[in-house]
Amino acid sequence: MKAWQRNGILTVALLAFGAARMPYEAGVAKDLRAANLIPEKLEIGTIDKIGQTSSAVALGGLRTLVATFMNLRAFSFFEEQKWDDVADTYNMIVDLAPHTGYYWDAGYSHSAYNAASYYINNSDLPPLRRKQAWRSSIIRGREFLEKGIRNNPNNWNLWASLGFLLSDSNKYKAFRDPDKTFAEAAEAYRRAGETGRALDYVQRSEFYSLARVRGREKDALDLGRKLYADHRNRVPTLLTLLFVLEAWADPAMDKVAKAVEIFGTPEKAYEALSAHLQRTRERFPVHGVHETIQSLEKLLKISADKSILNQPPPADIGPETWFTK
Amino acid sequence: MTRATAITYRASHVSRILVIARHAFTQLVRMKVFYFLAVFAVIAIGSNFFDLPQHEGPESMGINVLHSIKSWSLGAMTLFSVVLSIVATALLLPKDVEDRTLYTILAKPVPRFDYLAGKLLGVLLLVFVSLVLMDILMIGVLQIRTSMVMAQQLEMAKALEWTPKDIESVKLDVLAQGPTWSLQGAVFAVFLRASIMASLALLISTFSTSTLFTTIISFLIYFIAHFQADARSVFLHSGEAGEGKLARMVSLLISLVLPDFQNFNVIDAVIEGQTMPLLILGKLTLIGAYYAVFFTIASWFIFAEKEF
Repeated sequence: MKAWQRNGILTVALLAFGAARMPYEAGVAKDLRAANLIPEKLEIGTIDKIGQTSSAVALGGLRTLVATFMNLRAFSFFEEQKWDDVADTYNMIVDLAPHTGYYWDAGYSHSAYNAASYYINNSDLPPLRRKQAWRSSIIRGREFLEKGIRNNPNNWNLWASLGFLLSDSNKYKAFRDPDKTFAEAAEAYRRAGETGRALDYVQRSEFYSLARVRGREKDALDLGRKLYADHRNRVPTLLTLLFVLEAWADPAMDKVAKAVEIFGTPEKAYEALSAHLQRTRERFPVHGVHETIQSLEKLLKISADKSILNQPPPADIGPETWFTK
Repeated sequence: MTRATAITYRASHVSRILVIARHAFTQLVRMKVFYFLAVFAVIAIGSNFFDLPQHEGPESMGINVLHSIKSWSLGAMTLFSVVLSIVATALLLPKDVEDRTLYTILAKPVPRFDYLAGKLLGVLLLVFVSLVLMDILMIGVLQIRTSMVMAQQLEMAKALEWTPKDIESVKLDVLAQGPTWSLQGAVFAVFLRASIMASLALLISTFSTSTLFTTIISFLIYFIAHFQADARSVFLHSGEAGEGKLARMVSLLISLVLPDFQNFNVIDAVIEGQTMPLLILGKLTLIGAYYAVFFTIASWFIFAEKEF
């Protein structure tokens, strides 16, 4: 057989072999993509930014390895407080490894917590610019986290992180409407619980967020009663909010009796409700709290000078005070 | 040919292939290729120290390190196995010619197919043994670290009085990042990809003029093969995007000629803690075997007529 004949046969065989396997391989790729087992194509921006060598390595089937290296680079940027570089690097990292919850969590934390805190204390910028940068960092962190959730809807940790961010007393003021923000936090916690893998505190956190939404008191009360039925959930914040919501539902109830029923003793009730009154920054409802404290003070014979109602309220620390000078 | 003769003939084929494979394996081992295991051990152990600050809740403490160990180890396995399969295969034929071993073998009644299949099997055996050793190292490191993370988590759970349900949930999260059957499946997928590359390098080496040429072309194909699926997609959906005839032809050619390595990127998903179903592994094995058999037959087709 002549060389050209041999090469011709080989070429035809190669093409025929390719044609025979193509539908099968396409089918396997479709199955893998449907099961989220192969990542989407890298974005052009990511390929440009990670550089030629890293792109080659990433495209050579080592995406998670490149992501690990990039994570180290992001850490250096974090140490140098280069927040834009940190955010850019995490955008690349999650493009390389979109199903690693740690990267989404780290990326959002750097933006919403580390960068935001940096701008609170950065005296080089005028107050308005600092406030604007603080707010932008939190919003950017939230958007990043929400993108992570869209990519990993079954990751309870990411849902819980979103709930935590939106209900954080130092963060919720970055968003325009507190009621909407707390409702979204409650929804995020609910979705975390829905995965069936979340820890118990997540459901309690859903209750704490829902209790802060004006107009959703009934929903919050129903959830609170359900949680209260399980003894393991009877932590101080839950008991206090349950009492407050019961007082909202029935303003005419015997509040002292209810407080003793929920907290166990008048002393414990007084202690818990006094502490609740001091938590002004968290925007918890206070239905019936003043009135009950007054009644309990009479019952426990607490003098007026020791009354919690006569103590100065805690200093209001927040964006209103952070950016005044 | 009687049935008994046919069986004897087939058995002698197999034994010849095994003898050549063993020889190729020994030849490669003598080149001290296993020294890289020391480097791998350093990588596997070193990946333990990339314990960056924790951002998630305490229930996820330490999990990132487990992810890092898997990522570094499987990355190193991919790199070593691909380099080993390409370079070792590219080296075998020219070395046999240079040492004049090839002439001695082919002067005997050894079918050329047996020679090629034996050489390929020797390389695959080397890659397999290397991967098994690396896998043992990785699993060892991962198991120790998983136990440490688990102990840390359980201690914290006890201190915080977590419920049995919560403890179970955290245990599952930690175990999903530890040594799993899916991780073993990923290592096998690494082997399959290396096998395809070895058989492809064998095909190239049958008509190549040097080891360097075979190595360079094989590596180029390795990288381009990760885009094959994109080319196939362009061809299959070209009507929708309105590509020209030339683009369609080029994409078709790439799809038909090059192997598709994107399906093997399932390894990344396993590193991220996802489960690889057995059916998927079976399908990947089928693809790997299909390529290896075709490329070996094609190599024989060229090699059969080659004059030395």
